[in-house]
Amino acid sequence: MSPKDRGARSEDLDAEIQSHLDMDARERVARGESPDDAAAAARKEFGNVGIVKEVTRDMWGGGGAEQLWREVRYAVRTLVRSPGFAAIAILTLALGIGANTAIFSVVNGVILRPLPYPDPGQLVLITSQFPTLGFDQFPVDAAEFLEFRERNRSFSNVGAYFSTAVNVGGQSSPARVTSALASASLFPTLGVTPEAGRWFTDQETLPNASPVALLSDELWRSNFGGERSIVGQKVDIDGVQTQVVGIMPKGFDVHDQGVRVWLPLTLDPDSINSYRGGHYLNLVGRLKPGISLATARVQLEPLLQHWREIDGGSPDPTQNRVHTPNTKNHRLRYDDLLTDIVGSAGRALWVLQAAVFLVLLIACANLANLLLMRAETRHKELVLRAALGAGRGRLVRQFLAESLVLSVAGAAVGLLVARWGLHALVLSNNAGIPRATRVGLDAHVLMYTLALALGTGVVFGLAPALRLNARSMSLSLREAGSRTTSHASAARVRRALVVLEMAMAVTLLVGAGLLLRSFEKLTRVDSGFDRSQLFTFNLVLPAATYADSVRRVALFEQIDNQLQQVPGVQSATAMSGLPPRRPVNANDTRFEGYVAKPGMPPQNVDYYNYVMPNYFSTMRIPMVEGRSFGPMDGAKSPPVVIVNQTLARLFYPGQSAVGHRIQPSGIVDTAQWFTIAGVAKDVKQGGVDAKTGTEIYLLDQQTPAYEGFAPRNMNIVVRSTLSRDALASSIRRIVASVDPGLPVVGLRSMDEVFDDALARPRFLAELLVIFAAVALALAAVGTYGVLAYSVAERRREIGIRMALGASEGGVLTLVLRQGMLLAGIGLLVGLAGALAVTRVVSSLLFGVQPTDPATFAAVGLFMLAVALVACVVPARRATRVDPLVALRLD
Amino acid sequence: MAKRHAPLTRIELLQGTLDLIILQSLRWGNRHGYGLLQIIRTMSHGVLQVDTGSLYPALHRLEKQGWIEADWELSENNQRVRVYRLTPAGRKQLAVERSKWEQFSTAVAEFFAAPPPEEA
Repeated sequence: MSPKDRGARSEDLDAEIQSHLDMDARERVARGESPDDAAAAARKEFGNVGIVKEVTRDMWGGGGAEQLWREVRYAVRTLVRSPGFAAIAILTLALGIGANTAIFSVVNGVILRPLPYPDPGQLVLITSQFPTLGFDQFPVDAAEFLEFRERNRSFSNVGAYFSTAVNVGGQSSPARVTSALASASLFPTLGVTPEAGRWFTDQETLPNASPVALLSDELWRSNFGGERSIVGQKVDIDGVQTQVVGIMPKGFDVHDQGVRVWLPLTLDPDSINSYRGGHYLNLVGRLKPGISLATARVQLEPLLQHWREIDGGSPDPTQNRVHTPNTKNHRLRYDDLLTDIVGSAGRALWVLQAAVFLVLLIACANLANLLLMRAETRHKELVLRAALGAGRGRLVRQFLAESLVLSVAGAAVGLLVARWGLHALVLSNNAGIPRATRVGLDAHVLMYTLALALGTGVVFGLAPALRLNARSMSLSLREAGSRTTSHASAARVRRALVVLEMAMAVTLLVGAGLLLRSFEKLTRVDSGFDRSQLFTFNLVLPAATYADSVRRVALFEQIDNQLQQVPGVQSATAMSGLPPRRPVNANDTRFEGYVAKPGMPPQNVDYYNYVMPNYFSTMRIPMVEGRSFGPMDGAKSPPVVIVNQTLARLFYPGQSAVGHRIQPSGIVDTAQWFTIAGVAKDVKQGGVDAKTGTEIYLLDQQTPAYEGFAPRNMNIVVRSTLSRDALASSIRRIVASVDPGLPVVGLRSMDEVFDDALARPRFLAELLVIFAAVALALAAVGTYGVLAYSVAERRREIGIRMALGASEGGVLTLVLRQGMLLAGIGLLVGLAGALAVTRVVSSLLFGVQPTDPATFAAVGLFMLAVALVACVVPARRATRVDPLVALRLD
Repeated sequence: MAKRHAPLTRIELLQGTLDLIILQSLRWGNRHGYGLLQIIRTMSHGVLQVDTGSLYPALHRLEKQGWIEADWELSENNQRVRVYRLTPAGRKQLAVERSKWEQFSTAVAEFFAAPPPEEA
């Protein structure tokens, strides 16, 4: 039936019923009634004309789509009649669905979206493991890369890269960007082709090849105007004129490091033995078609067993003549590339997704309660429809249509909330989650939102629909006219929903509380030095222009000296390693007279830090023993080192480390020993949440003489009472006066450096706290609503009690007890639920047990306080019931 | 004013029974909705009460099922009225429903007339 036919039939029906009313009225007039009375009586006899027409129209049937459209139109009409209810419901849903959509966008972009390569599931990150050193994931050396690529039978290709940073551009406006040195095989392995130009050739990765580079799409657009003509031209990279041979596709990035320049990784196959032991490469392999990661792991085991034999070494791993992988203390590790990139952020995101889903469930419970209460007040109408022959199916459909209209409208508004929320998330959290650039509202997210909308609509719409049971439908019209005093089962459902809401909110609160406490503990970890009024920035000297080590040291000294003359600067120093996110160096280091017995650590040091003489005083790192560097430590005087407490404890247990001698790796004269001059307090180099590693401090001034080298990459540290902006202009002026080609990079306060390192735990804790707060607010509103409704329902009873002499206090207690009982049960269920599920977040916690009693207790008290507030308002309203008015009701 | 029947003697129609009664009433002649209400009341001596509201959904349902048909006609007062008549299919349906009803009422009557069962 077309809508047009339907319209004509509706008019027919109107005429038919009008004729009925006319005939009845005429007969009544004939019996002596006045025309007005007769018309009114005829109407009264007929009943609710509107509903009769509607039920009659339902009998005409029609197609599924048409029926649906009718239900929807009817639902919209009904909702428009109660705009307050509709607005509350749509807003609640918009928040719930919007938050879910926003978080799912992140989960989708970061975890679910495959890597942008063909067959991304075949890509494997290959790293090394040193079980005896406690390194679980470590780079591999170049010899291992060349040999692995040659010898393995599981991968169709293997590429290698490592990331660093370069200065791009001429002397005038240099930019410091992340770069990567990559083997020519990396790109065929990944299966990408450059957007323009070409990839490196094998020849270009050999020593003495002319320098070439590929630019990222982002750098090409931002620094080179997006002109394709740049391909083939030369640009200045770290002082070297380098030919641009290609531009990478937009968003291309191997391990989410923001690489902007790709340079060839120069490897000489003839020098392979000189590469052994220098671990700095990450490998990406593409598994041959049909070979799974698990299969490959098994296939590759024999390779490890026989590696050193192929190189002419002894099969006995203790005969460590050649540094090669083996099955004991130098294993290779294979991880799915995407899984590795997502890393520990995955669990955090899933926890957020679960939390925000709980919020939505609580919102659904609230709406189910709202709809239940609405259904109670519409009971008469429902019974009437049923009596007129409207089937139960029709009524259920009607409820569902209403809730679906609400949820779809909520989802539509929710998408706006999600867009705004995502914007805020991405803005607030740049360093916290990997692959953040992939996050957005794509088709998958929209599907998810639609599914949520339909799912929530069904969930909260079914509650009142299911209440349309046989008993309530068999009530006759006359019975329906009088209000039944208490629908005990409906009240039970409402109370159960409130308990459930409270329980879910409590579980969320406990989770949020645990993460908040973890975060608070993380911020309170002693970093080992005084971070207040401390600023840092990074300088890298191009190798081409600073080939001479002595010149490098002199430049950093010069900058420090000039900075110290700036009024407001107390002191300035420099260090090669910037805490708290330093990658482990793990340098082999000899300890004089040390024999590694079983259970003793191998001769290896986690961190080498090259520093200026005033390093410890500027950083305010106390010396625990011995002395710090001083004027007596000249460039050519006997070499000294300072070690940290952890190293002293580990290698010199029960004795003083001062005076002992060690030999750093890579020194010029292998007969030269460095004397330990002092022991410094531990500094959290590898993260505030990590165990402190062993560390030695080497004097930058002594390195040219004894190590034949000095770092090009140094972090300048300034202690100053100036503001960052005031300091920044001085810093830029001084650096430019020394060498205008040096970009100042990453100028931040040390507090900001540490804050950035905690971006992810803060992000997680903040979002969870927001979700928990929303959950608690919803649960409180739900409790309030149910209690207020119950007070309204019991007005008569309360009136009688008061008429019989019950005091206000008594009535107050009566209502409060009812509400707090629900809250109490909800609290207990929630705490039990929290005990069961907080184990999931234990890997995200720091210094807090998943069963932390203080958190549980605080959440319990807080929740009871909120519940009390939610109960007091309806309870006070109950005390104001006027017995006379209440008794006159109905 | 006509005397109303005491509520106790009125019988609420079960759903389904109303269909049977409508079909039977139309066997006696074509009628509009208001006329049907009157004849049902008259023929059952006021015992069977049809809720006005439920008559029209039932009529339109029966029409949809093809058991009755309707046309607009002019009443004796020159009023346009929608008049229903039984279709052949409706006649058959009436026979079926009626025989079911008779079986049911006979069974119930026999049940009540039966002597008490012997104690085991």
